[in-house]
Amino acid sequence: MTHGLTDAQFYEMVASFLGPFYVALAVMNGLAALYIWRTGQTRGWFSVPLPLVGKKIQITNAQIWLLVATVFAILGALAWSAGSAVAALSLPSLWRETINKSTGPVIYSVGTTLGLIVLYFFRSFFVRPAVAWWIWNLMWLFLGLSMTDRDFYEIVAKPDNVPIVMLVFLLAFFTWLGTSQAVENDRRAERGEPPREKVNDEKVLVWPDLVYTELICMIALTAFLIFWAIALQAPLEEPASSVKTPNPSKAPWYFLGLQEMLVYYDPWMAGVVLPSLIVAGLMAIPYIDFNKKGNGYYTIKDRKFSYAVFQFGFLEMWVTLIVLGTLLRGPNWNFFGPYEYWDAHKVEALNNVNLSEAIWNKLFNMSLPGTPALENWPVLLRPFGQFLGLLFGRELPGTLLVLGYFIALPPVMALTVFRKFYSRMGFIRFMVMANLLLFMAALPIKMVLRWVFNLKYLIAIPEYFFNF
Amino acid sequence: MADKKRMSVEEMLAAARKADGGSQTPDSTDAAPADPPPVDSTPAAESAPAKPVPAKSASGGRPSVAEMLAMARAEKSGGAVPAEKKPSPGKSSSGKDAAKPAAKKTVAATSAEPRDTASILAAARKASKAGPMSKAEAAAKSKADPAAKAKKIVVPPLPEKPAYARLQPSVPKAKAKGAADEERRTFLGIGFWSLGAVSALWAFATLKFMFPNVRREPPSKFKVGFPDSFPAGQVQTKFKAQFGVWISNAEYNGQRQLYALKSVCTHLGCTPSWLEAEQKFKCPCHGSGFYKDGINFEGPAPRPLERCAIRIADDGQIEIDKSRTFQEEMGQWEDAACYIPV
Repeated sequence: MTHGLTDAQFYEMVASFLGPFYVALAVMNGLAALYIWRTGQTRGWFSVPLPLVGKKIQITNAQIWLLVATVFAILGALAWSAGSAVAALSLPSLWRETINKSTGPVIYSVGTTLGLIVLYFFRSFFVRPAVAWWIWNLMWLFLGLSMTDRDFYEIVAKPDNVPIVMLVFLLAFFTWLGTSQAVENDRRAERGEPPREKVNDEKVLVWPDLVYTELICMIALTAFLIFWAIALQAPLEEPASSVKTPNPSKAPWYFLGLQEMLVYYDPWMAGVVLPSLIVAGLMAIPYIDFNKKGNGYYTIKDRKFSYAVFQFGFLEMWVTLIVLGTLLRGPNWNFFGPYEYWDAHKVEALNNVNLSEAIWNKLFNMSLPGTPALENWPVLLRPFGQFLGLLFGRELPGTLLVLGYFIALPPVMALTVFRKFYSRMGFIRFMVMANLLLFMAALPIKMVLRWVFNLKYLIAIPEYFFNF
Repeated sequence: MADKKRMSVEEMLAAARKADGGSQTPDSTDAAPADPPPVDSTPAAESAPAKPVPAKSASGGRPSVAEMLAMARAEKSGGAVPAEKKPSPGKSSSGKDAAKPAAKKTVAATSAEPRDTASILAAARKASKAGPMSKAEAAAKSKADPAAKAKKIVVPPLPEKPAYARLQPSVPKAKAKGAADEERRTFLGIGFWSLGAVSALWAFATLKFMFPNVRREPPSKFKVGFPDSFPAGQVQTKFKAQFGVWISNAEYNGQRQLYALKSVCTHLGCTPSWLEAEQKFKCPCHGSGFYKDGINFEGPAPRPLERCAIRIADDGQIEIDKSRTFQEEMGQWEDAACYIPV
């Protein structure tokens, strides 16, 4: 997209985006300050002593947001002036280097998981409007400062990826919206009050209230889509060819999580079994769930388990994988930092080994056990015999591990961590839930095994297309 | 914020009930015949401030039944009658009532038939709103009158069935039933037979679709030139675009061979690219990597690339047959048809 542009031309192109961008941010903060002031929510945050006058001046939140708006306005003016000023409006190269280095698979996945845990435990802090507003501003500022980087711009400004940027911001907003209501309801429950939704459950008529709302939403969204279709060109490429695959070849943005899953599993596993299990598992939730609380109102305390599982499954294993697939996967499906040049010849030695190879070759220092010949078996039965022979011969370590994981773990879970669940759910419901949970956990486990031990497959029987 | 704006249904109901209770107490004392006229003026005085602007009554919503009744009564006794209510005939009668003793008046007020406009209005304007009700309202209502719920419906016994309606096995009727069965069976038979015929036709059409009259595919057998145009250690990529094969001259198991690898990744079927600098095939979709001899070593690909049949044709050129493939994990690379020893 920016190929063949000189730096000056590139900055001019970015400036035409960044100018309005920063002005919009300034307006956003100005409106926030105005809203706080008009609704009488001004609070003194801290006071500045004036030594000359001998008085103290209270600095309120409205003033701070007004100041932030001013800063954004100045940034907008600088960006619009183009030229070298735009180049100055970028993250320090040291930061970018650090971010590039720290976005390897392990740090990225561990970091996002830890971030999620921190957000969960300190949720009552993060949902405070002032804190959330700071984070919101910093997210936008981070995006703006990163846009001046050519490699980042290449990724983010691609029409394919615009929905992903929108997704990140929208998701942040809606997660805040839901969590803040849940935190408030939990506080009310502590005081013995009913949830907010129950206090004001005035009936609303479908006609005209709901129908009108839907109509307005429909029109607004259509207008937005038309604007989008006009403003951003369709990302068309050269005619498709069965012998030429673009490099990197990325799935549509909403399937990037699935594509990431395919890196760690066999196609039939990651392309058929696990996606079906996702759908089936989501459909099974109403039958698995035995918690009667949390019906019709936001809450976290009443439904800790469901909340944590859902947020992990959605935020960590769907959304962060989409972001990872967009920002961090480059040519040849190698890992790249968000500010790193996409070098198609980046060498990454990934000599993956199957568990059976590691055990037989490295541990016991012997060659792999072969396929049983089974000469005297009937021809029709021979493949089954050979398959079973491989499963419990060459691949025995992996088979034992997988069987232990799916068969031995659920009873252990029922006896220890999930004792209460088991007694309330009964055998079948608990087994379904435990197996769904274990399948969900299988993905991160396999990812970690790949990254840390270069493990390819626990059970590898390519002869019969069975790999796990 | 929202609770400041308006009250919830529960609160409204509570307020209404409170108002009801407050003004009902004088009413009930009113009903007692022993009480003299002064009682009549008590509710009137109570609800007098609410009278001019009913919308701004104490409960915040509209006036309750009791309040309205009290208002009406206040109008009667006070004589401050609005102009529009004057001509109604019931009004005059109730006006007469007002002059009578209190005991008689209360009978008129509590009787089933409303006499004056105000009480008609009051009867029409029920405390509960029209239309669908919310759960809270329903709960409050059911709580308010448990007596209505407890009322038992007495069902009178059904009269005896007349003779013609009684079920009796008669011969001609059974015959008709059999005929209807017969008809239905014929109909079903025709239906299923035609369904089967159409399905068979569809199946045949689908089968025919699998064997089109014209196929636009590159031939599976093609010649790629003489063996000396493939120098040692080189992977020839120029046939990939047209035929989907790489032709390599490299070592496999310590033996120098000329072989053709199919350019289809064994993971999900993308087309890998040959990276000369790293001496490997690399798939852009999920990062599978293969050595020069086609053995998989990185990424998710579970098995090596497939080889195509290769031979020296009669004219000395190399001929490749893509319709025959050889898989390493099945031990098929030992087959002499899949390589040319160099």
